Amino acid sequence: MTSTSDTPEDGILAAEYVLRLLSPAEEAAFEARLTLETHLMDYVAFWASRLSGLNDEIAETTPPSRTRRQLMARLFGPIEPLSFWQRASLWQGLSFASIVLSGFLALQMLQIPEPTLPAGPKALLISEISAEDQSLRVLAIYKANTNHLEIARTAGQAAPGRVLELWAIAEGAAPVSLGVLPEGANTSVILPEGMSAQLASLTLAISDEPPGGSNTGAPTGAVLAVGQVSEL
Amino acid sequence: MAQLVDIESLIARVALGDRKAFSTLYDQTSAKLFGVALRVLNNRASAEDVLQETYMKIWRRADRYASNGMSPMSWLIAIARNTAIDRLRATRDSANLDDVSNHLVASGPTPEQSVVAAGEAARITECLGKLEAEKGQAVRGAYLQGLSYAELAEKFSVPLNTMRTWLRRSLISLKECMEQ
Repeated sequence: MTSTSDTPEDGILAAEYVLRLLSPAEEAAFEARLTLETHLMDYVAFWASRLSGLNDEIAETTPPSRTRRQLMARLFGPIEPLSFWQRASLWQGLSFASIVLSGFLALQMLQIPEPTLPAGPKALLISEISAEDQSLRVLAIYKANTNHLEIARTAGQAAPGRVLELWAIAEGAAPVSLGVLPEGANTSVILPEGMSAQLASLTLAISDEPPGGSNTGAPTGAVLAVGQVSEL
Repeated sequence: MAQLVDIESLIARVALGDRKAFSTLYDQTSAKLFGVALRVLNNRASAEDVLQETYMKIWRRADRYASNGMSPMSWLIAIARNTAIDRLRATRDSANLDDVSNHLVASGPTPEQSVVAAGEAARITECLGKLEAEKGQAVRGAYLQGLSYAELAEKFSVPLNTMRTWLRRSLISLKECMEQ
């Protein structure tokens, strides 16, 4: 577009695109054409696969282990070393009441070493997020000391090729994503800043989303399960 | 490349949100992708950062892999290379910070089927070998280090337009050679 020299034929333009030799403006113009002109994609594929032969010339270098740690923390949040839900998989299928009771006792036990902690929210805040027909049931318990929600899926799973995404909805506000639920039954999520204060009035919901979760910031698929947070 | 099939199935599992598969994929491929980023950026700290950004893209876009027709390793390398070049250009020219386009990775289905990597390596090496030495080096510099026309012109001490002409002619010869 803004090229000062003659524009080459498409087959060579595609090579320049793959090599990243085009200016940002030329790149944008080429990408706009790519969406419309399918023959261009053939050229791009040709160059991308042929040039990929040069990948063999790149030496492998092991990255430092901190890179892996930081990456996993950025994507999935900090790893909880002592998550009682991780030991709770055998609870699947047990009644809701017994899960809550065990959770409550576990929380009590966790608090024993620190009996003089300043008073936090005393009540246990829990939510059972469930589908009407109970085909999906997820239990959430709030841990005030870490500002985490411990999540345990006790029934149901994501549809093949889809994921379950957890949302928090404050009264009168738009849903805020708490993240995609992993394949495993248990996980733990951090509540966003400011949300813990209004926790007792939150609604939690789970929606059906494409892999990686909604990319619009709002649920895009069906809302499968809903639950109110309540004090126990 | 005995692990090609494994990487493909790992990507498929990552597309379904499988974190364990993602960890395994990282362990199997990060050394190569780190090498790619290092080659372009020539700076360990930036390369580490770009490596993280690359795998974040892989996590989010794994579902697009199946439809794009490239070999799995080439696809991963293309993401790393483009991310590294975006970073290089953003630091060099901070006016273009927002120009982190998806390039190849975001593109739709391609008719080209994935090709055996070993054959490709031999072919491109052979065809580059038929060019004059400096011209082959220019193509390698553009691909492996993400050098721009201006940088290539400086590196080979020729005017910018001469470099453009050089490289385009080289690409035409390469295309003919590789189509045979």
